[in-house]
Amino acid sequence: MTLNDPAGDAALVARALAGSDAAFGRLVERHQAALRAFLRRVMGPARTEADDVAQDAFVSAWSSLRSLRDPAGFRAWLCGIAWRKAQDRIRASVRGAARDGAWLEAAAAGPPGVSPEDRLALAAAMQDLPPDVRACVALCLADGWSHAETAVALGLPLGTVKSHVARGRARLLMALGGTDDA
Amino acid sequence: MTPESKLDSLFAADAPSARDYAFEAEVARRVALRRAWLTAAATAPWAIVGTVLLWALVRSIGPALETTAEALAPTAMAATIATTGVIAALWLSRRFSAV
Repeated sequence: MTLNDPAGDAALVARALAGSDAAFGRLVERHQAALRAFLRRVMGPARTEADDVAQDAFVSAWSSLRSLRDPAGFRAWLCGIAWRKAQDRIRASVRGAARDGAWLEAAAAGPPGVSPEDRLALAAAMQDLPPDVRACVALCLADGWSHAETAVALGLPLGTVKSHVARGRARLLMALGGTDDA
Repeated sequence: MTPESKLDSLFAADAPSARDYAFEAEVARRVALRRAWLTAAATAPWAIVGTVLLWALVRSIGPALETTAEALAPTAMAATIATTGVIAALWLSRRFSAV
């Protein structure tokens, strides 16, 4: 059973609906990394806040599991719940200065071959993107979701997702030294 | 490194680890807490129904119970004294037995 395995998810959802905490725990185990990565990219540097939203999303998913129509689509459904919660947090967030500080701190260490300046530039460019665009970029470019899957998860039209991804990608590449037509 | 490969590297670098026991334990704790609240909320209607039933019962058979209680009071008192005596006797006989 791989981590992105809709059939495996469907079986686990069925068991969780029958009352198995272990099955729900497996769902958490399978999807926590992807969900947290998505929320960290969407919510910026407030990593602890992103993890809090992720936990909140899992709890909401647990209590409304019966409303999930397609158990194989658990990942997109969960991401949609998390996205709505993240939007609320982003709107409510007024801790700009604290965020900026944490953002710089998080951006200090990066992968080999990429300078801290590039990491900071990407972080700043991500933060400058509108939340919808950022979410599309996070799912499609960073996590490798399809446009259709992203459209379902975020509740956006497919064409909007495609244009958001193209626009977001161009702006990120520009921030990393690319050209406008990249 | 091209901007595209930089972008890929940066996105790949900030992914959380595949297993995070602390995170999973916190989710489990929050789910347990939510379940406890839901259970408590589910019992609330029964508590309300029970309260209403008891209130109605007291109003309907309250006067009759008062008469019965008055009649039974001496018997209840005698039974209580007798029971207390028996329990005390048993305890004392155990306490001071030779074994």
